[in-house]
Amino acid sequence: MATRKKVLLKVIILGDSGVGKTSLMNQYVNKKFTNQYKATIGADFLTKEVMVDDRLVTMQIWDTAGQERFQSLGVAFYRGADCCVLVHDVTAPTSFKSLDSWRDEFLIQASPRDPDNFPFVLLGNKVDLENRAVPQKRAMQWAASKNNMPYFETSAKEGINVEQAFQTIAKNALAQETEVDIYNEFPDHITINPDSRNVRNDNCSC
Amino acid sequence: MNFSSDLSNSPEYQSFRATVPLKKLAVDTDASKTWKLYDAGPRQVTSPLVCLAPVSGTADIFYKQMLYLTARGIRVLSVESPIYWSVSDWCEGFRRLLDHLDIERVHLFGASLGGFLAQKFAESTAQYSRVASIILSNAFLETSIFNFNDTATLFWILPGPVLKKLVMGNIKSESVTELRVAQSMEFIIERLDTLSQQELASRLTLNCVNCQVDPFKLKNMPMTIIDVFDESALSMQARASLRSHYGHAKLAHLKTGGNFPYLSRSDDVNMHLLVHLRQFSSNSRYSAQKPAEQESQNDQPESNAKNELAEEMGVGDSTSAAEVATEAS
Repeated sequence: MATRKKVLLKVIILGDSGVGKTSLMNQYVNKKFTNQYKATIGADFLTKEVMVDDRLVTMQIWDTAGQERFQSLGVAFYRGADCCVLVHDVTAPTSFKSLDSWRDEFLIQASPRDPDNFPFVLLGNKVDLENRAVPQKRAMQWAASKNNMPYFETSAKEGINVEQAFQTIAKNALAQETEVDIYNEFPDHITINPDSRNVRNDNCSC
Repeated sequence: MNFSSDLSNSPEYQSFRATVPLKKLAVDTDASKTWKLYDAGPRQVTSPLVCLAPVSGTADIFYKQMLYLTARGIRVLSVESPIYWSVSDWCEGFRRLLDHLDIERVHLFGASLGGFLAQKFAESTAQYSRVASIILSNAFLETSIFNFNDTATLFWILPGPVLKKLVMGNIKSESVTELRVAQSMEFIIERLDTLSQQELASRLTLNCVNCQVDPFKLKNMPMTIIDVFDESALSMQARASLRSHYGHAKLAHLKTGGNFPYLSRSDDVNMHLLVHLRQFSSNSRYSAQKPAEQESQNDQPESNAKNELAEEMGVGDSTSAAEVATEAS
């Protein structure tokens, strides 16, 4: 049953404003990058279909306004997320320091069933820039201390590691999604008359 | 009318009915043709969101959207048409209704038949850009997918119970495991029972008489398609066809929701509606939302109170519904 079901993965990108959340999403989904900075207003999302372990899944990637903290959309924004992507700018130490609060914020708002094992992925963005201020080692240590969350050093501008990072995000999100399924759909419904499903037409809409 | 379903008895629904009046307006030369509508939120907004119901629904089925969005300063209408037997008559009637209400432009949220009509209306008014944007939920491009094109011309003489059966055939699903989906079905079926034979027959006729949308005419229309990933009355092919014809549309997928996600997954649907409408908030001519700076000055105390009430209800939304559910079970 689980293999036949269409899968939707909800991914939320969090991090301080200006770290490149929108750029990462655009680079991954549209393969586009612009140097012009435009603050995200509210929230926006993009969808992309990807193959994960021979399964076609749809990713719904939510980009957030770093400065707004999303109160206006309410809990529905966080709820049902399958993976949370934390982003910092490797040239901006303050954005690295904020990671803890972003992670806490997410866990409080989304209140996942098993917070200790909820999949997070850390991205250190803008590695193409010269003035690096957050050493790779420090970021790796932080990620390791948070239940070994995967860490990628990316450049949305150059497209470095973006594909790989999102592949991991999709994979971990899918693992999370399937796990939740086991809880939710434990007694899978029994189809008494299996034939009727195959011949189903669109009758009248309702 | 006495409704017994969980949702009808929820404090949220009761408060909606207590605060937002159901209006009746005759805009045709035939005065017996009356539109029923709820109109909530700031009146100075001339490009509101208008919700269009499916065959089985009445205007109140969008109460959750109205409560949530009006609390955020958005004007929302939900309308129910009188008996029309053709899509072009419906479009003409709807245009008159908007004229009568001094509404220049609309954002349309259409579910199923409502979504089909939203597209047809946008198509027919494309030159005047009367429709600013469209949000579709379980909508379709052509009525031929229902395989009733030939019989549709006879719907008007079929008895009510037969027509109801035609509609119910699809919404009664044996595989509903989710409480919220079950509750949404119960609520809709209750509404379906209030429709007269003529009302139902005319809606089914619109739904099934051979007709299609020309998606090319809407290729520049800002659009969001809200799609559920679980079972709904529309086949996967019909849904995929809609999506592929509107390559520019934003795809707001929901994990589950069944046929009536605006009731069963209202939190998510409301959020997508808000995200969709926000793209227009900087342009007052197209915005469904009242500009923030006006909020404190121009607002009448009466509508303020209503907004606050709606806000309260909106926030308490899911918890109160859940409480009712546990009590009932």
